[in-house]
Amino acid sequence: MTNYTEMQLDALRELANIGSGTAATSLSAMLGRPVDISVPSARALPLAEAVEAVGDAEAEVTGVVLPVFGSIDAIVLLVFSPESAATLVRLLGVDPDDELAASALCEIGNIVGCSYIGAFAAMTGLALEPSPPSLATDMLGAIVTSVLAGAALETDVALLLDSALTVEGEECSFGFMLVPTADGVHELLTCLGMAE
Amino acid sequence: MTLTARVTMVRIGEQAATSTEGDVLSSVGLGSCIGLALVDDKRGVIGLAHILLPDSRDGAGSAVGKFADTAVPALIARMVRLGAVKRGVEAVLVGGAQMFSFGSKTSLDIGARNEEATRSALKGQGIPVRAAATAGSKGRTITVYASERAVTAKEAGGSELSLFGKAA
Repeated sequence: MTNYTEMQLDALRELANIGSGTAATSLSAMLGRPVDISVPSARALPLAEAVEAVGDAEAEVTGVVLPVFGSIDAIVLLVFSPESAATLVRLLGVDPDDELAASALCEIGNIVGCSYIGAFAAMTGLALEPSPPSLATDMLGAIVTSVLAGAALETDVALLLDSALTVEGEECSFGFMLVPTADGVHELLTCLGMAE
Repeated sequence: MTLTARVTMVRIGEQAATSTEGDVLSSVGLGSCIGLALVDDKRGVIGLAHILLPDSRDGAGSAVGKFADTAVPALIARMVRLGAVKRGVEAVLVGGAQMFSFGSKTSLDIGARNEEATRSALKGQGIPVRAAATAGSKGRTITVYASERAVTAKEAGGSELSLFGKAA
């Protein structure tokens, strides 16, 4: 299955909406500040167009990745600009130049990713287990394509469920997406009663 | 890159070849992907493939450029149509990094397998690998210049390094 109907994308978008709402609540509790979420999008894109849909391939970003295994395999990816990464780390009381900064960002990824996946699991009844996060700072293209390589074996279409979280009162927002494998998408839609 | 150059971006699973002077082919932000540059210096034909995964037998999808084993013969055929001769073709590999440090069990550790599969497909076609900037944990950009038949690689925040031929 490589093509999705608008109705299926709507159903996935609603899942992403609830998932990112839960994630925002967790992040807000962690930072002690209100966190806003954008309206999530669910996009099915040809692989070649997936990178530019996320941003400028050459831009330097920090990516935190959580592979998810279980009833479905997927990857959670958080993308931070250097400025937003520094702000978030500072809000946790860590100096952005300290070597602890990377593990602080990983921990944010862990909290956000796990609460997102937890909400997905609760809504769908699927058993989903996030693995520990891993971080890289590099060109956006290198990070996104490396994530897609883990999900694109059986499809030429990348399904991106993405939303943005913004910390109120700070110049700080970051993108956040779930990239399921093609089998994973089918499972998700089946749970929602939306599979063909 | 000169301002007059016509730059073609080769994105995931895509490939391109040209024999037009001044043309430039580039893949920006290769992580675990392989940017495979093929050059027939004598006949002035260059090609670039942006390979995502090692083996088409493991997966599905119609894009031949996505997998190393199918991308290599497809790119050669593309170049031969432009006048290249297979025995005159040389290869340069860029990419194949491991961006994220997971155990070897996860499919994210795919850079090394991509490089191995690409080298094996090239060997099967009798095409020598003249240079490579692969492995490690940094993303790279590959650029291939038709006029100079040259290949360069650039890491994030780094400068453009010549791998093959001399880019102006």
